[in-house]
Amino acid sequence: MTWHPRILCLGLLAWLHAVQALAAPPMVRTAGIARKADKLVVSVGLQDLFGARDVERLLSGFSTRVLIRVAILHDGGGEPVAQSMRLAEIVYDLWDEKLRVRFSTDRPGVAETQIVASPKAAVDLATSLSAFPLVEIGKLEPSASYHLSLRADLNPISEELVSNMRRWLSHPSGRGRSGAGDSFFGSFVSVFVNPRVDDSERLLQVVSQSFVPPAGASP
Amino acid sequence: MRTALALIVFLVGGRAFATSDAPPSGAIPAGATEAAPLPEFPPDPSFEPSYKLEGIEVRGNHKTKTNLILREVGLHVGDVVSANDARVSLARLRLLALGFFLDVHLSLVKGAERGQASLVVEVEERGTIILDALYLGTSQATSVWGGLAATERNLLGRGLSLGGGFVGSTRPEVAGAEPGFAGALHMAGPPAFFSGRLALQASFNISRGSEFFRTSGDESSANPANFVAANVRRLGGALGAGRALSRTFFLTGEARFESIRAELPGELGQLLADGLMTPIPFAVREGDSHLGSLSLILDVDSRTDPVLPRGGHHISLSVEATTTAFASSYGFVKGVAQASNYFSLPWGHVIGIHGYLGGIWGDAPYFDRFFVGDLNQLLPPRALGLNFSTQPSHNLLGTGIAAHRYDNLAGRALVEYAIPIWSRHGLLYRGDAFAAFGVFAVSNPDDLKNRNLSLSQSIASDLTADLGIRLDTYIGIFTLSVANAIGRIPF
Repeated sequence: MTWHPRILCLGLLAWLHAVQALAAPPMVRTAGIARKADKLVVSVGLQDLFGARDVERLLSGFSTRVLIRVAILHDGGGEPVAQSMRLAEIVYDLWDEKLRVRFSTDRPGVAETQIVASPKAAVDLATSLSAFPLVEIGKLEPSASYHLSLRADLNPISEELVSNMRRWLSHPSGRGRSGAGDSFFGSFVSVFVNPRVDDSERLLQVVSQSFVPPAGASP
Repeated sequence: MRTALALIVFLVGGRAFATSDAPPSGAIPAGATEAAPLPEFPPDPSFEPSYKLEGIEVRGNHKTKTNLILREVGLHVGDVVSANDARVSLARLRLLALGFFLDVHLSLVKGAERGQASLVVEVEERGTIILDALYLGTSQATSVWGGLAATERNLLGRGLSLGGGFVGSTRPEVAGAEPGFAGALHMAGPPAFFSGRLALQASFNISRGSEFFRTSGDESSANPANFVAANVRRLGGALGAGRALSRTFFLTGEARFESIRAELPGELGQLLADGLMTPIPFAVREGDSHLGSLSLILDVDSRTDPVLPRGGHHISLSVEATTTAFASSYGFVKGVAQASNYFSLPWGHVIGIHGYLGGIWGDAPYFDRFFVGDLNQLLPPRALGLNFSTQPSHNLLGTGIAAHRYDNLAGRALVEYAIPIWSRHGLLYRGDAFAAFGVFAVSNPDDLKNRNLSLSQSIASDLTADLGIRLDTYIGIFTLSVANAIGRIPF
């Protein structure tokens, strides 16, 4: 009986260790943060969202989408102060042999389209933000310290569809759904080749360096 | 021996999870970059070239039949597809949802004439054998029990599912007990989630083992010398058909038949502390008996993730009915309602609230009743329907719970707090540390009707808890929990 408290302590220690020691910090990406007119703007490159295979697949004939989401956060934590996003789409026309890139603008319902010469140029255009407007600078506290959280998704899928897929993969053919007498907490372990079903084909999530809202005249 | 076994169980065993997307650490609050709906471009035909399909080719499928893949793709020669056709992205998801492929990629190659193209579907197959469960434990009554369950989900490349499991034990140290063995086989048709087809399933089960009934001693004692064994053999199966009513609703109907042979011990009474004898409620017919039942199960699942949910709910309602008019030796109706709801807190942690309510009206065999080990996470649960323990509930609330093993009424409320600790780190996709705490209660209609007992005396309750880590990894899903170990240690 004396070893029983030891097992309890072992479990508690493992749990605390997991919570406190194993959380990994996000990657930091240096971004150009400036003031343009009355807006805070960011310039940053997220080209590493694409792997070599993804670049080849730009010529598949089907569209490739890149969604970049940016949030401004207080260094101390809490809810985002402001959020922005930009959607870009790359399409290769098999018969015209042209690569077109279109991306959303800050005018609702208006998209800008460019024709590029190579897949690499398409990736550069789709994954770079250049003086991208984030928020009216007056909405930020002048002396407070902020950072940006940036998330880029390659071919994002709606959250609902991904949830449905994940659930289905865990309960094929309805078998294994909770039936009569099952318990949500019944004994269970499941070992199998378990590829990640994500809400995009690839994801890049980084944070910027800390910054204080730039003051003075706009560039 | 038992300590070593308990540690192994702690390391490899698992309790099912009850708990989506988390930031990599506390530096980015939940929802900071992912809460908004996906934006869309306005339709622009000049940007989206269209092609008439002149052929469809499937590549990379060494095992899976081409016809099965083409059926899920749902596109045909002659169809016109545009560069961002929603049917194309859905076809990819349908193929991934089969669970047979690591990756799926659709592309077009120029056709013979301008405006035509051939569709190429490239799949990368994955292993489809799943180890569903590991059974391993030890108790005061049974030195060791062990077994496993596994499923091949793409049998012969036709999408059929065939699985089986077994569990075996040493001879329990209870008078008259025999070593336990149980086996189960199940088959299911191809996945029918997106197609709306009927999902057919069949199962077969066989078991031989002992159930333990107290004859003397204090109710809190698990001493095997105070129990006798009823040896029960079960042979049966079930046929079922299910259909997805929507992406969150699933309805299953099932018919079950079992043949039961029970050998009851000569000792038919329990000596109570006051010196009186009371009959032992074996709840199974001596000799041969049969059981036939029909069940209906409605499952509603909107969880963001089946392993580590961050929101949504999961509700399951089931009713099973059997009557002696259908040649069943037992006549009863069993209803079970289970519900889980998940809330994401602003700082990224998750609260899960779980409720369970079940009732049986009529004469159900003991194995269909609510077993205390299935309700209390601190006790060993049954493996393939067999119980290997005499351990009573720990009675932390000072009620009469220690005397309850199989009951006709059961309820449980459980709150769980989960802290995301990993997200998208190589082969370890995500992980949560969790702590769960709850209370459960059991009773029987006769106890409730007994006017000599107060309500608190006729309903027995106890506390249950768990603490551990859940992991979603490339090689599967694991729960490392303290309850796995404690549940198998007598205290």
